[in-house]
Amino acid sequence: MDEPMTDAPGAQIRVTFTTTEPDLQLPESKRQLLVPADIRRYGLSRILNSESMLGTGSIPFDFLVNGSFLRSSLEDYLTSNGLSLETSLTLQYVRSLLPPVYQASF
Amino acid sequence: PIRQQDTTAKPLRDYSEALEMWTRFQTKTQSLSQSLTSQLRLILTPTQSTKLSGAFRTGKRLNIKKIIPYIASGYKRDKIWMRRAIPSKRAYQILLCVDDSSSMSDANRAASGRLALESLVMVARALTALEAGQIGVLGFGSDVFVAHALTDPPFTAADAGARVLQQFTFGQDHTDMARLLRATIDHFRDARLRQPSSAGGEDLWQLALILSDGLVQSSEHARLRPLLREALEQRVMVVFIVLDDVREGKRSHSVLELKEARFGPDGMPVLHRYLDSFPFPYYLIVHHLEDLPGALAALLRTWFAEVNS
Ligand SMILES: [Mg+2]
Repeated sequence: MDEPMTDAPGAQIRVTFTTTEPDLQLPESKRQLLVPADIRRYGLSRILNSESMLGTGSIPFDFLVNGSFLRSSLEDYLTSNGLSLETSLTLQYVRSLLPPVYQASF
Repeated sequence: PIRQQDTTAKPLRDYSEALEMWTRFQTKTQSLSQSLTSQLRLILTPTQSTKLSGAFRTGKRLNIKKIIPYIASGYKRDKIWMRRAIPSKRAYQILLCVDDSSSMSDANRAASGRLALESLVMVARALTALEAGQIGVLGFGSDVFVAHALTDPPFTAADAGARVLQQFTFGQDHTDMARLLRATIDHFRDARLRQPSSAGGEDLWQLALILSDGLVQSSEHARLRPLLREALEQRVMVVFIVLDDVREGKRSHSVLELKEARFGPDGMPVLHRYLDSFPFPYYLIVHHLEDLPGALAALLRTWFAEVNS
């Protein structure tokens, strides 16, 4: 019947990556990307670290969406905010502030 | 399958605002529209036939097959000349299909919605001036609606235009391109059947122009191919006009640069160019309104050259 779709992607969301970290800037042509809708922080970090993006190996990143840290999948974020897959999200990436024990010393 | 716009179900743009928009866009696109009209006139109206045929008393070239009967008849059957055939008159049905999904909206920091409406006004005006045939407007998103039927009054008056603009608010939460293609094919099939028999001698050409930001879920690309084949078999030409807004500072948002990330079996992300799987064989990318007349004319010229060869 249908052609086998070996590499059929699932739902996708369009994101724009931004950062304030001067050493981690992406070239303009790489800032916009379609990513799997069920992606989370870990998958997004892998993409950013990959050779085709920053090529930074394994920096753990955190992502800010509209001012708050992403703690769910992008799809869940959209759903809980009443948004559809038509929405393009701006993701601000920062070096993950780990480990949290440091907070005790302040 | 396509319903008339249910005015109670969907919020409409205010009529006076729509009227003001139509007038403003018409003024803004006036010269572009005229340029498109004159370019399309050359392409859509056949003025010259290269074929010689027939049997006449006078003409351009001798019809060799008529020579023997001519001599045998004692030079009485003297219709021995061929002439240039009169090109058959063409009738057009053109559907302008405008993406009403929210990826086109200002709320999404996209100006493609405005670019789509300006393009709609420009193209609709150019085609109306050509008097090439019937023009309709479809809107699509999660659903398809008729914003202007092929049989509705032409866009010579601003009122008809304003009523079309009223229906585009860019609030639909999905871009169902398969549904649009299905609706377009069905709509054209019905319209072909409804053509009055007096127009039977004319050659009917059906053309769909899709005005959209080109963002369709990649998972749906494969579903579009059989529909595009079906359109081709029905002799419906589908041109996708990708409205790619790249005003200053927004180059990174161009669909030309857009890539998609997929994870391979090893868990490593692989990047593909989004347009590589874009299934429309005839598409053009418009960055600015000024690009549209020339690009559209060039594409149609190529297409007509292909089908006529
Ligand atoms: Mg859309």
